[in-house]
Amino acid sequence: MASGNMKDIKRRIKSIESTMQITKAMQLVSSSKFRKAKEKADTAMPFFNAVYETMCEIASEDRFFNSAYVRGNDSDVTLMIVIAGDRGLAGGYNSNAIKLALSRMKETGGNHVVIPIGKKAVEFFLKHNYKILRSYENIGENMNIYKAMDIAELIIDSYNKHKSIGRVELIFTDYVSPIVQEARNISVIPLERISGEPSHSVTRYEPSAGAVFEELVPKYIAGLIYGAVVCSFASEQASRRNAMENASDNAEEMIDNLSLIYNRARQSAITQEITEIIGGAEAQE
Amino acid sequence: MRTFKFMVITPDKILFDGDVEQIIVRTTEGDVGILAGHENYVANLPAGVLKITLAGGEVKYAAIAGGILKVSYEKTTRIITTASEWGEDIDVIWANRSKEDALNKIKQAKTASEMSRAELKLKRALNRIHVSSLQKH
Repeated sequence: MASGNMKDIKRRIKSIESTMQITKAMQLVSSSKFRKAKEKADTAMPFFNAVYETMCEIASEDRFFNSAYVRGNDSDVTLMIVIAGDRGLAGGYNSNAIKLALSRMKETGGNHVVIPIGKKAVEFFLKHNYKILRSYENIGENMNIYKAMDIAELIIDSYNKHKSIGRVELIFTDYVSPIVQEARNISVIPLERISGEPSHSVTRYEPSAGAVFEELVPKYIAGLIYGAVVCSFASEQASRRNAMENASDNAEEMIDNLSLIYNRARQSAITQEITEIIGGAEAQE
Repeated sequence: MRTFKFMVITPDKILFDGDVEQIIVRTTEGDVGILAGHENYVANLPAGVLKITLAGGEVKYAAIAGGILKVSYEKTTRIITTASEWGEDIDVIWANRSKEDALNKIKQAKTASEMSRAELKLKRALNRIHVSSLQKH
């Protein structure tokens, strides 16, 4: 084997090594970010559960309960809130969420508007000429309840005042386990699951059950969005960590293989040289 | 005095979870005080002060940024709010800054929704300043 080949292999090993440095670093960064994000996602749960429980209780206790959010309106437009990441290199995280959004759009039919959250989602829906109500970038990492309230307010205005949307669906990535993250959809409006199983306990509402319920709905939607964004961010980091771990492992394997080839080439080059020298020496005699 | 279980829940933390003798909080209809054994009761809360008397008699103040109060005869009484802080933890300098900020926004507000949002922000800031002064006495 020629020494030119050896040089090529050496160069490839070097290039893979530097790629591996990057993937290793990204793996470390996302695993530390993941820990923080997971904590945030866990603390968001009690708030959301408490709001949801109270809404269900109102629906079940108030016999005259009849809210516009449960009834629905006549608009055939579905608003899709699609949460994806701000960066790539996270395995199938971004594409899974977007794929699910597209298949849900096909299933629901009618017209659609989109609120993409996260740069990757924004880029996708812009590029494919979807109607965008408003887009949000770079909010996943520093999400707070006020940003979620802004989005909730926008949704409620479109639903209640302008009647420009009739249904709202939320696409996010659920964190199942460190290895499994699943894209999921939730129907936000109309509030279907809130059903009134009649109960016997009596509660006094001030000013009225309806007023408390109307006050809760924005908090419910904001809580849902906040929870979904925080949960998706944790999933994104977990997904990136896995992708980068795999990439680092693959890089290591490639380096091992290439070093083997390189050493063989070196060995055979030396053997050949020795044979040549011996051959030359014998010819001298 | 008899105590009851009480919780203050916000999206980013559970501010309080424990036994209390009494809570006093401002609802949209006026101030209410809750003692153990209160009937089931739900009310809307604007931005306001929450006064808690702990099991030992110690009094604590917290700022509430709007939400609902849910009193339950059998279960834990809860306040569900978008933000809440203990009086002693409130950063007065920061609260003053957000007050100035809100005043500026009110001056510049063009639409009704901008105006009402700025007003809410001002109310929250004033409330936090008020609560931090309560805790010191």
